[in-house]
Amino acid sequence: MSCPRSEIDPLRYLDGVMSPGEREEFQRHLESCEDCTRTVQRFEELGRITRRVKMRDPTDEFWKTYWKSLYRRMERRVAWIFILIGTVIFSVYAIYEMIRSFGVLTLEKVAAAFILIGVLLLLVSVVRERCHQYKVDRYKDVKR
Amino acid sequence: MEAFGRIVKMYMKTAYSAALDYVCNVEDARDLSQDAFIAVYRARKSFDVSKPFFRWFYTILRNICLNFIKSRRKLKVLSEDVLEFRSDDYETPEGYASYSERAGIIWEALFKLSPEHREIVVLRDLSGFSYKEIARMLDLPEGTAMSRLYYARNRLYELLEGFDF
Repeated sequence: MSCPRSEIDPLRYLDGVMSPGEREEFQRHLESCEDCTRTVQRFEELGRITRRVKMRDPTDEFWKTYWKSLYRRMERRVAWIFILIGTVIFSVYAIYEMIRSFGVLTLEKVAAAFILIGVLLLLVSVVRERCHQYKVDRYKDVKR
Repeated sequence: MEAFGRIVKMYMKTAYSAALDYVCNVEDARDLSQDAFIAVYRARKSFDVSKPFFRWFYTILRNICLNFIKSRRKLKVLSEDVLEFRSDDYETPEGYASYSERAGIIWEALFKLSPEHREIVVLRDLSGFSYKEIARMLDLPEGTAMSRLYYARNRLYELLEGFDF
């Protein structure tokens, strides 16, 4: 059976978060516990490797374009909002005109009806997918 | 917008490198860290100024990255040359090639860890955050964070066992 101390204490020992008294007591424990000794040895070895590596810094050019591209993305979002508002206004007006001249079948009305049905189908599909994602989202309770 | 620009410049490196830890791909990391800034900008009114900004930002970034990972069955190709050795032995081409290859092995091993294990190993062992800071960032009790690190380090050790560093 593995030692109950072999999970947390070797980490605290190696990372220097033990008090001098705890450290001394754990060192004595190590003399008689194979599990903890093995964990300490493994993590010491791993630490020798991970301490020697770091993330490579991206080039200055990367950082120069980072802010610019973020700004462009935000700008495009605003553009999409304007397009969306315009489309909604235009669609409402088209529906109003269609209702006003109800009974007269024109090519414009047929085309508009197809677009409307397509948009509605897309909307239903997106709403259904979002509902499904929400139900299975493991992180939905994480506070933002 | 000016204040937002200052925040971006202050945190962009941290955000990019945190996103890279999750997705292991340079382009995705750039896009996702930018998504986090956009989300922060949109939610700026809901930010409680009495609380630390970075913790709030990190939670948003983390959610975006985890949702991205979840929405893809497979992550994009692993970016190369992301890790490097803190060594001066780069003077000869042979030295550079050898260190670069070894860094690649470590990066690949990190990529094989689960996102939760990778994040905790990178936060503690590569970025040097304290257990208290990690527990706050991941919204976990300190003991749980340490226990997760124990399993993550063991897995990483198994993946690197047998290689000569």
